[in-house]
Amino acid sequence: MPLKFSPRLISALVVALIVAFVVHSNWGTASVSGQTIATFLVVGIALGGIYAISAAGLVVTYATTGIFNFAQAAIGCFLAFCYWQLTVKWGLPTLLSIAITLLIIAPAIGIALDRVIMRRLRDAALVVQLMVTVGLMLTFMGITLTIWTPKSPRSVPHFFEGTKGVHLGDVVATWHRIITVVIALLVAVALRFLLYRTRLGISMRAVVDSRSLAGLTGAKSSVISGASWSLGCMTAGLAGILIAPETGLVVENLALVIVVAAAAAAIAQLKSLPMVFVGGLIIGLSEAFSSVYLNFGTDWNYAPQAIPCVILFVALLFLPQARLETGKVRLTKRTERLTKPWEAALGGGVMIALVGAWANGWIPWFSGTTFGERSAVWLGRGVGFLIFGLIMLSLVPLIGWAGQVSFANFAIAGIGAVLFSHFGGQNGSPIGILFVMMVCAPLGLLIALPALRLKGLYLALATLAFAEFTDKVIVRHPKMIDPSATGVLFKPLDIFGIHISSDAADRKAFVIFLIVMFAILFFMLELMRRSRWARRWIAMSDSPAASATIGINLTTTKMAVFMLSGAMAGFAGCMLGLSQGALRVDSFPMFLGLPLVLLLAVQGVRYPVAAFMGLVGLASFPALSEVMGNPTWLTQVSLIGPGIAAVAMAYRPEGAVFYTGRDLAGLLPWRADAREEKALLDQRTRDQDIGRDDINDLGIDRPFTSEKVAQLDRVLSIADAVDEHPMVPTTGVTA
Amino acid sequence: MTALLSTNEVVVRFGVLQAVSQASIEVHAGRVTGLIGPNGAGKTTCFNVITGLQEPTSGKVLLEGVDITGKSPSKRARLGIARTFQKLEVFGSLSARENIMVAAEQRRSWDKSGFDPRAVTDEILEKVGIADVSEFMVGTLPTGTARLVELARALATNPRLLLLDEASSGLTEEETEEMAALLRRLVAEDGLGILLVEHDMSFVMGICEYIYVLDFGRVIASGTPAEVQANPTVQAAYLGTDATEDAS
Repeated sequence: MPLKFSPRLISALVVALIVAFVVHSNWGTASVSGQTIATFLVVGIALGGIYAISAAGLVVTYATTGIFNFAQAAIGCFLAFCYWQLTVKWGLPTLLSIAITLLIIAPAIGIALDRVIMRRLRDAALVVQLMVTVGLMLTFMGITLTIWTPKSPRSVPHFFEGTKGVHLGDVVATWHRIITVVIALLVAVALRFLLYRTRLGISMRAVVDSRSLAGLTGAKSSVISGASWSLGCMTAGLAGILIAPETGLVVENLALVIVVAAAAAAIAQLKSLPMVFVGGLIIGLSEAFSSVYLNFGTDWNYAPQAIPCVILFVALLFLPQARLETGKVRLTKRTERLTKPWEAALGGGVMIALVGAWANGWIPWFSGTTFGERSAVWLGRGVGFLIFGLIMLSLVPLIGWAGQVSFANFAIAGIGAVLFSHFGGQNGSPIGILFVMMVCAPLGLLIALPALRLKGLYLALATLAFAEFTDKVIVRHPKMIDPSATGVLFKPLDIFGIHISSDAADRKAFVIFLIVMFAILFFMLELMRRSRWARRWIAMSDSPAASATIGINLTTTKMAVFMLSGAMAGFAGCMLGLSQGALRVDSFPMFLGLPLVLLLAVQGVRYPVAAFMGLVGLASFPALSEVMGNPTWLTQVSLIGPGIAAVAMAYRPEGAVFYTGRDLAGLLPWRADAREEKALLDQRTRDQDIGRDDINDLGIDRPFTSEKVAQLDRVLSIADAVDEHPMVPTTGVTA
Repeated sequence: MTALLSTNEVVVRFGVLQAVSQASIEVHAGRVTGLIGPNGAGKTTCFNVITGLQEPTSGKVLLEGVDITGKSPSKRARLGIARTFQKLEVFGSLSARENIMVAAEQRRSWDKSGFDPRAVTDEILEKVGIADVSEFMVGTLPTGTARLVELARALATNPRLLLLDEASSGLTEEETEEMAALLRRLVAEDGLGILLVEHDMSFVMGICEYIYVLDFGRVIASGTPAEVQANPTVQAAYLGTDATEDAS
């Protein structure tokens, strides 16, 4: 066969060369002997087995429900803590604890999730699906942190801890690892058996192909989705329990397994179970290989932790291009009109006036503040909130308009902050800001590049991996942030003679500067929404296939929006650096960026004003807390709150700004049109609530009531014909 | 005369299923060509091959004799191919006017005649008869009206070849007649070539000059409406005289 230089082959060669280079230049002291190889294999296979279990659950839920569960590892983390509570705290036998955790608690969580949240998401936009599960992830992490406060260290014992294990040559394979491998194999076999040999499993696979057809053959999609969510939670819990002894019972570590599971799932293209196990093994073995043979030195200390991110990125390069699918358009029943330029200008003015008045202390916020004074502490917090607002604003065109879900903008801002400390920040030059923006624009693009040709979900995964990579590798390199350096990183920014910096005296000017910039960017975005750029982005997001057939080049269109968003995040990053004065290597963890995306999504990701509402919401927690005398329960609420708010999106997918705007308009006496519209839309929402499940079940285990039949008629648009001749007596007939 | 569009023995295979087998059809400028057949006959797949959304397993697509088989959908739009979709593919969160504006603005990247997208949009809104709903978000419009928005959007790219997938479904009887009149005007006055997939037989027979009948991915008959109607193979395919070949 002639050798064809396909792009895939070339990228494979490039990746292999880079891996060889990294391995060669970081080779540690260990020699390749039978012992090290055995250690590497034992550790790697056991680790890979755990990853595969978690990823298999991810793939099963995705394949049967179409929802990628970002909360998978967080649920596993919660369940691992439950297991700890049962077995260590209450001293129950290990097997009993496992049974309670995996056979009672896990399915209960799965069924509850399915009933309350996931069924509503089935036909929701990708943005909403992602935000809700990311919200769930933060909720489960928050709940775990609240119940089991991380003050005292906890550990889960290995299975048969203290026993010797099995000798393989000179290497001891502990019973825990052997059990892990056996369980992973059992899970693989059991899943295979379930999906191919049982009625439930076959229905689960049928649902993937066609939900309505599967319904006709008697498969109940409600039972199926409940089962697959339970299965997902059980595998998550199993993986959590198995991995907790290795990573320690720490919430962040356990929740981060999601990156690994996502990488394994991406290798399997989110569908093939055998490939999930191959993917898990690849990652497990790579990590074991690096821990046995490689020594990254102090500069790249955290590099091993970024291995899953890198593998995820590489896997994306080799995925086949997504087809432009048709027939997937979801028509949202929204009515809105474009903001007029004068309204946008007014809005920006109001923002400046409000924040300006607050900064000057003209708004008596709460007791204890004097009129005309605002404390330096609060001004400093205000700076922080405004910067977060800027990051949220940078997400509006990207997520809200172009529909490209990215979790990387906080990381880009972090890199921007670091860059600004090297270029321009140290002499207070505004030119440095422009430079950073020019670097961050293509950076935003670079992250998106491997995923541009793929489905939107992969883009979200790639950006998540990038955020983690930034935290673990980029900003931890001493060339980026030198923890031992003592000099001044940022000189005050000099704008028309006014000093802007984190100094207490400059903070008021900083707040004013930020809100003015925020308002200008807000105004620009509102104008942009009326331009051909925004129209093209929204068109691309609504229907990629139709956009292509009217001549839109999807790749360049996506590239443009990533550049815009990256530049805006870069500006926010400069401000972030300036506001912190000094930079710490752990300032930009992935988990800190997620709440920002969620907060914006909850407020309404399509609307620039949502970024302002988001930052007000952000400020309200510490403000409330101070008014109420800093109660601990409020801290706990703030831990769980963002997640719960995001989960609420399942019920209010368009975001608070939209519903508030519509409802407020309805209150105005002269806006009868808004009231009528609301009534109409509410009616349609109710009609949609009679989902396909309900229609399938109607008459089988749901009574034919006149109300249900009327709803059915409306869904089928035959309401007019039957209204006058009710087909079912009003008393209702039960089947 | 070279046909405006011709497909040359196009084959599309999905696994073992042959969705389109060696379909060769021609569309000429200045007339409406029909493509009919039972459900699942491969009509929409044909459309996807012509517009570049589906890569054919083998075969060629020629536009005025030039091979465009390897070109992307957006390139084909530049060459003058526009389409509507069986299942609505409107831009639901834009207004009807914006839907058309997007296409008209896009056209400026290859059509340097210096036209004003706004003027073109207004003209097309008027032509298709949706000027009175132009400010509504398309997601809130009834299906029939949304179909007209799709047609208007396709026209805004100033195509030479227009592919309409189930153009009349969701339209009232009156709207269907208006649609027929509009299509006749487009071929007569603007010289467009139209390829039409349709289930409404009276609509097809009334408007098409030439018809291809597709069944199980094969062209089983072609000719004028009268010829096609008289063809026994077509009657068999539609009425399912052989129970094993009942495709509907």
